[in-house]
Amino acid sequence: MREVLEGSQAVAEAVRLARVKVVSAYPITPQTHIVEELAKYCADGSLDGKFICVESEHSAMASVIGAESGGMRSFTASSSHGLALMHEMLHWAAGARLPIVMAEVNRALGPGWNLWVDQTDSLSQRDTGWLQFYCSDGQEVMDTTLLAYRLAEILNLPVMVVMDAFFLSHTYEPVDVPSQAEADAFLPPYEPKFLMDTGNPYALNEVAPINVYMEMRRSIQQAMEAAPGIYQAIEDEFYRQFGRRYGLVEPYRCEDADIVFVMVGTAAATARVAIDSLRAEGEKVGLLRLRMFRPFPAAAFRAGLANAKKVVVLDRNCSFGVGGIFAQELKAALYGPAAPKLYSYVAGMGGRDVTVDTIRTLYAMTRDQDEPAHESLWFGVHEEMLRS
Amino acid sequence: MSNNLNAFPVSLFFPKSSTSTVANKTGTWSFMRPCYLEKTAPCSVHCPCGQDIPRIEMLVSRGQIIAAWRTILAENPLPGTCGRVCFHPCEKACNRGEFDEAVSINAIERYVDDTARAASISAPVAKGRAKGKRIAIAGSGPAGLAASYFLAMLGYECDIFEAAGEPGGVLRYGIPAYRLPNDVLDREIARIRALGVDIHCSRAVDPAFIGSAKKTYDAVFLSCGNGASMKLGVPGEELAVDGLAFLRRAKNGDTAQAMPVKPHGSAIVVGGGNSAIDVARSLLRQGVSPTIVYRRRREDMPAFEHEVARALEEGVRIVELRAPLALARVDGGIELKVRKMRPAGIGADGRMRVVPDGDATEVISAEALYSAIGAAHAESWMVPPDDARVARMSHSAAFWDAPAGIPVLYGGDPVNEDESVADAIASGKQAAIALDAFFEKGAASVNAEIARCTVGDGTSLSMEIYLGGPRAKRTGRVVSFKDINTDYFSPSEKTRGASVPPERAIASFEEIESPLDAAGATLQAERCFNCGICNDCDNCRTYCPEAAVAALRAGRQDDWSTEAGPAREISSDYCKGCGICVAECPRCAMIIEEQQS
Repeated sequence: MREVLEGSQAVAEAVRLARVKVVSAYPITPQTHIVEELAKYCADGSLDGKFICVESEHSAMASVIGAESGGMRSFTASSSHGLALMHEMLHWAAGARLPIVMAEVNRALGPGWNLWVDQTDSLSQRDTGWLQFYCSDGQEVMDTTLLAYRLAEILNLPVMVVMDAFFLSHTYEPVDVPSQAEADAFLPPYEPKFLMDTGNPYALNEVAPINVYMEMRRSIQQAMEAAPGIYQAIEDEFYRQFGRRYGLVEPYRCEDADIVFVMVGTAAATARVAIDSLRAEGEKVGLLRLRMFRPFPAAAFRAGLANAKKVVVLDRNCSFGVGGIFAQELKAALYGPAAPKLYSYVAGMGGRDVTVDTIRTLYAMTRDQDEPAHESLWFGVHEEMLRS
Repeated sequence: MSNNLNAFPVSLFFPKSSTSTVANKTGTWSFMRPCYLEKTAPCSVHCPCGQDIPRIEMLVSRGQIIAAWRTILAENPLPGTCGRVCFHPCEKACNRGEFDEAVSINAIERYVDDTARAASISAPVAKGRAKGKRIAIAGSGPAGLAASYFLAMLGYECDIFEAAGEPGGVLRYGIPAYRLPNDVLDREIARIRALGVDIHCSRAVDPAFIGSAKKTYDAVFLSCGNGASMKLGVPGEELAVDGLAFLRRAKNGDTAQAMPVKPHGSAIVVGGGNSAIDVARSLLRQGVSPTIVYRRRREDMPAFEHEVARALEEGVRIVELRAPLALARVDGGIELKVRKMRPAGIGADGRMRVVPDGDATEVISAEALYSAIGAAHAESWMVPPDDARVARMSHSAAFWDAPAGIPVLYGGDPVNEDESVADAIASGKQAAIALDAFFEKGAASVNAEIARCTVGDGTSLSMEIYLGGPRAKRTGRVVSFKDINTDYFSPSEKTRGASVPPERAIASFEEIESPLDAAGATLQAERCFNCGICNDCDNCRTYCPEAAVAALRAGRQDDWSTEAGPAREISSDYCKGCGICVAECPRCAMIIEEQQS
């Protein structure tokens, strides 16, 4: 059924359709609407699940770790400082091989306090063993949440569904909401491969001595390596049932493009408009939207950018001392003699708008520059403020 | 999973061992040992009857009303009475008072007794092994009734001798019906009689009786009460009506027509104690306008605070700081000349002293004056003689070598510091325990036996502890507010039963307070911290990181055992002594100690 839903509601609706049994979360703007909605569902019985109130995000993650260890499909959501506080438990969830799904709303970290979109929070967690998907609209967060449970439960790895603060979390859009029967047909009941069971006691997550620890880490890496293929197979099923698919990366007018933008989240939707206008002017430009970030879909990028001469990466984040994180990751993936030139821009941090004009300007800058700078260029910064 | 998905084998090698943690005897790390050790709640220390209040509230909160009733009856023969008229010092001592408001212990007691009464549950008190001894008791007020009840429980035959036509003493003749209806009292007395206690009414005891009691009895307990009103000590004294006599007649059902003041008249009541308040409020109910004249300030009145407040609501006037000087008869009534007084600092007794405020005097007129300034024992043989051999205890005195040749014990208001029903019951209980200790182990053992069954650090006694019941396993350490883990409690409102509005209340002698209803009583009982006792909340088991705590009683919420004491066991194989259980016990029912090697 087509409904007008806020991005946050689309996530909550997907969690309800996934028949999640345990939700534990601590509220933080801009994630709050998601968990408020779920608390309501748990209270009114429309979700047959338990909402565990906790005193911190660390405990929220610990609670869903406990729930998943007991064989319950679980969910949490966080953002920014909340996600940062979860950090230790994020490692635990992956190491314990628990298929937890969480929604993460990209928000800047303080100080200065800033509630708006910025990708540094989720990217700071890239090495925790969680899969990460970046979404660009309400339909996509709903679909990705359902896909995430399928994928997580096959891989026994946790999945983060990432969405932009406000631009996505607080924006109402028409969303196709599957019926419960349709959702059930796609996402069967959770069958844990192991669970805490007093009838069949064993120890979980105990000491791993030198002779086994590295193998356990290798196992996580192997599961990660299997993820892109498994994801595509799951998405094929999803497509057959719902007629929608997204891919690991999503190309837009890339066929003969000399310059291809690599972008993430809602800014990528804006970029499509800019690209249409540039195409109308005869420019050979395209967009390859990054959706899966962990594991990094290097093969998909290599294929998608095989014919591009220049690649523009727009990062709403910065690894201080290096630059845009997506740009670094992509550089590493494309490394080699045939690699296109990569132009890295940092823009739109802390909620600053990325407009059609932004994209058009970056396009012109890239087109007119034969060689990219070694560093990421910061776009739209009022340098005069820095001199004060 | 579709075939496509099977094409991707997923590696899943992570820390999981078929050897369970059962193999890991974490108990070997321990040098500390937590254990269940129930303690004493402050309410039970301050209850003169020493009732096991935390347990009573726990049982009520689970809907186990009859079990709660039995728990009350183990320490108090008069729950219906106390649930109505007790001044409930327990609530003043309640730890919850430091959190929000004290638990409604008094209202819950009444609810329990009313519920048992409505269900017509018969006397559940077991009579002890017959000791082959008979005790004579003078007076059937709360002290005498309690003494007979506890003595019967201990296996003694008791005869109560009562001067009045019906048993109950002050309960029947002193406390007005709107506070304590006679049918409540009758039922409590019937329960005591069912234990085999013989109550002989219209038979006053005198010194000759005591002198010859040895022929029939092995001991005498004198609980004759304070039946003689104190004199005003002013000229015209004889014009005053005795307040106690008035209360007796009012309780008998004598209407205003037979009284000194007719409806629509006015009356002066001199005094500041509960009797003065009772007289004034009874007068109101006979259509008379009473004015209480009191020599100190209103807040210094010895009457219970809530009774004073209620009297004011009902329309009693209180004139404070006026000391009677003289009474005179005038046309159509009485004139009371009073001296104005003023506060003059706290006296040695801790009360505000008053001194004359210059020479100012006033005259107050009314149709009659009732004197209710207190009462004393009527005759000197009713109190212990001034003899060094008399053993004086907190609520009684024992003359083991009395000239009568058998022990003579004294109790009730004449020997009690606080003249309350609960203290009178405490008196009867103390005398019963002292007598049993005397007969079983000799006079020298009495103090130790009394100390053994003293609740906490107070003076109240527990019959259950004396008899070696489960409560005897608790320590006397009194739980304080800081011992409570208040994380497990949320603020909630204290409620009592509804009261009849004052304007309706004064229209008759009908009881004015309604009991709590079942839902209200449960809610109120749930407010109790259950200080010091295990209520099977299971926090210890839930939070034990080693799953070392086992439940000995399976308990569904609606199928609680009435068995007393903690129903948990800590396995020394796995307890590593972290103390989380002790920290998370909301009610201080556990301790942790260094392990003895």
